Amino acid sequence: MRVWLWRALVLLAALGLWEAAARMLNPILYVGPSRLPAALVRVLATRDLPPLAGHVWLTLGEIAAAYALAVAGGLWVGFVLGLRKSLGRIYEPLLATLYAVPSVVWYPSLMLFFGLGPSSKIAFGVLLGFFPVTLSVLAGIRQVPATLVAVAVSMGAKPWTLFRKVMLPAMASTMVGGLRSGLALSVVGVLVGELLGARAGLGYVINYAYGLMMTAEYAALVALVAAAVLLLDGAASLVEGRVKRWAG
Amino acid sequence: MTAAAPIVIEGVGKRYVTPSGPIPAVDGVSLTVRPREFVSLLGPSGCGKSTVLGMIGGLVRPDSGAILIDGEPVTGPNPRKVALVFQDPGLFPWRTALDNVGFGLELLGVPAVGRRKIALGLLEPMGLKGFEAKYPRELSGGMRQRVAIARALALDTPILLMDEPFGALDEQTRLLMGEWLVGVRRRTERTIVFVTHSLHEAIALSDRIAVMTARPGRIKDVIEVPLPYPRALDGPEAVALHAKLWAQVREESLRAMEG
Amino acid sequence: MKVLACQALSVVAALAAWEAAVRSGALDPTFIPAPSAILRVFGATLTDTLPRLGDTLLKTLLGYALAVGVGVPAGLLLGSRPTAHAVAMPYVVALYGIPKILILPWIALIFGIGLSTAALAAAVFAIFPVVVLIAAGTRDVDPTLVTVAVSMGASRAQVGRKVLFPAVLPSVLTAMRVAVVFAMLGALLAEMLAGNRGMGFQMQRTALAFRAPELFAATAIVSAVSISVVLFLEHLNQRLGRWR
Repeated sequence: MRVWLWRALVLLAALGLWEAAARMLNPILYVGPSRLPAALVRVLATRDLPPLAGHVWLTLGEIAAAYALAVAGGLWVGFVLGLRKSLGRIYEPLLATLYAVPSVVWYPSLMLFFGLGPSSKIAFGVLLGFFPVTLSVLAGIRQVPATLVAVAVSMGAKPWTLFRKVMLPAMASTMVGGLRSGLALSVVGVLVGELLGARAGLGYVINYAYGLMMTAEYAALVALVAAAVLLLDGAASLVEGRVKRWAG
Repeated sequence: MTAAAPIVIEGVGKRYVTPSGPIPAVDGVSLTVRPREFVSLLGPSGCGKSTVLGMIGGLVRPDSGAILIDGEPVTGPNPRKVALVFQDPGLFPWRTALDNVGFGLELLGVPAVGRRKIALGLLEPMGLKGFEAKYPRELSGGMRQRVAIARALALDTPILLMDEPFGALDEQTRLLMGEWLVGVRRRTERTIVFVTHSLHEAIALSDRIAVMTARPGRIKDVIEVPLPYPRALDGPEAVALHAKLWAQVREESLRAMEG
Repeated sequence: MKVLACQALSVVAALAAWEAAVRSGALDPTFIPAPSAILRVFGATLTDTLPRLGDTLLKTLLGYALAVGVGVPAGLLLGSRPTAHAVAMPYVVALYGIPKILILPWIALIFGIGLSTAALAAAVFAIFPVVVLIAAGTRDVDPTLVTVAVSMGASRAQVGRKVLFPAVLPSVLTAMRVAVVFAMLGALLAEMLAGNRGMGFQMQRTALAFRAPELFAATAIVSAVSISVVLFLEHLNQRLGRWR
């Protein structure tokens, strides 16, 4: 498996280059990987920075709330538009058009309406996470094989049973992809919201560090958040794989 | 041997290297194809017949032995002497039927007016008049394969190599295409090497049939088909030939399945 | 046609209901201004808005050009070499999955508040979809097409020009269309986070100052421009891809 070897080499080379470049340049602006562990310790020990724990919990709470609402809303709108073909034909293109707008344009309006507290971050997370969920529901409904439905109906299945035992399993693979994207986007929405204007939360702490030119601490926080996001998405992809295997 | 044989295959062999070790695809195949002859390579799946065709066409280099075309060794693709048709028509989806047919001519630098004339001249007797401006996605499977054959014919090469060209078509279309190919063959004077796993096709089309063994492929037998065209495939000679061929091929097919 | 009429009707009805809600007092105009107020502000500030829009668009364009200039060759390279693809793709996907806004403060720290930061941000956001989409499109090129060309004596240059280029073109166009929205996203984010000009900065400023009509007007303009650009590129994509 020479690929693994190459991948490791690429990673080592990248880290090496980063370290070398950082040492040659202004240490206030450029932080090499060797400085990160110490900075991380400083961050966690809450020296010079606000205590992390509270902010982390707040951010996590915002993400959870945003995702829950995004999924609920996305499923509801997705099913309404998907099952009522007439509504779907009219409103789905409008939904698709909104996709052509860079999502961040909505945030200032949300800040205006909800203020700088957690609700604007949750609202933005909902806004971003809602689209992939809705679109995946619509796509999922479309690809339920008509023959499956016909067979079930011919055996006398009632609408609710039909939905639960035929449509949902057939849609599962497509929908779980949307649920995974929705999570990723809800996370991004909350983080962006906190970075652009907040009084608390992980994004706020990152901004705080950056504002004080505590570049090493800022870099450590970024690495931490990046790792956390990747782990979360990794877990989500495992769940997605499971569901896809079950759904067939 | 009178006139120079267009294709001489001398003891060619080919091994493919796979992660689980080298696999011999072809081992010591020799065959001489006469001018204007229609030879079929018949054999079970995996017997290496496509590899042999690829070697004649200069797309695959043999590990041992040599192939001579008009007395000259094959070193690579030879668009002046050899044209190929594959099972997948391989039409360029972004080009119309006309532009697909003209592709080889385009590579040679033939100007557009000339290309159009030649292409139309080839498409019309194929029953594709009026379809020259259509894209492949608008054509049926049989039509696409006809365009692919027209594209190969456009280079006006003396040799035509065809690798199971009708394999992906349904049975009725296959039979019709076979009849049509016989017609094309009688109009042109090319040497054709035709790979197939269908006995029926081989008997309907060929002057000679080379039966190949299971992997590693060798020529097991070469059978003459001295029947006049058009061929009555339910006539006594054809039936006897079919039985003889089947006895040979069946043995190799079993070996291939067990192998 | 009926669908279009229903859509238009829905939009008009929504706007009318909105206007009515604000006038009747159901919606607080401090937070949600009436459409009429937005229109009035839009007309009044046009001379200020256009240069701001131009500024943002310039940053978007520069970042986009950089992303395409680096991303298209990178995508083609990764897509055509299986080993390179296997080695590099996990890293590309991982980097794609990290919220890119996290490094914007750092870029701003180095390049300051202004054009370079926003253009770089636009490039960073746009490059990932470009590389991923083009790599995928290049991998999907039917190998039979290349075999056909080679068998007809095509030189490497001819294969590249006459087979690979038209085969990959649809993916390239799709990637370029997707990248525009990402580039604009990056530019706007940079303006909001660390900017002093442009539509992003304007939106951030008016939001924090509770100047709702101006905020909504700015939002509407940016949305309209973005939608128009995407629709235009989609139209272009359709015209060039009649054969699909």
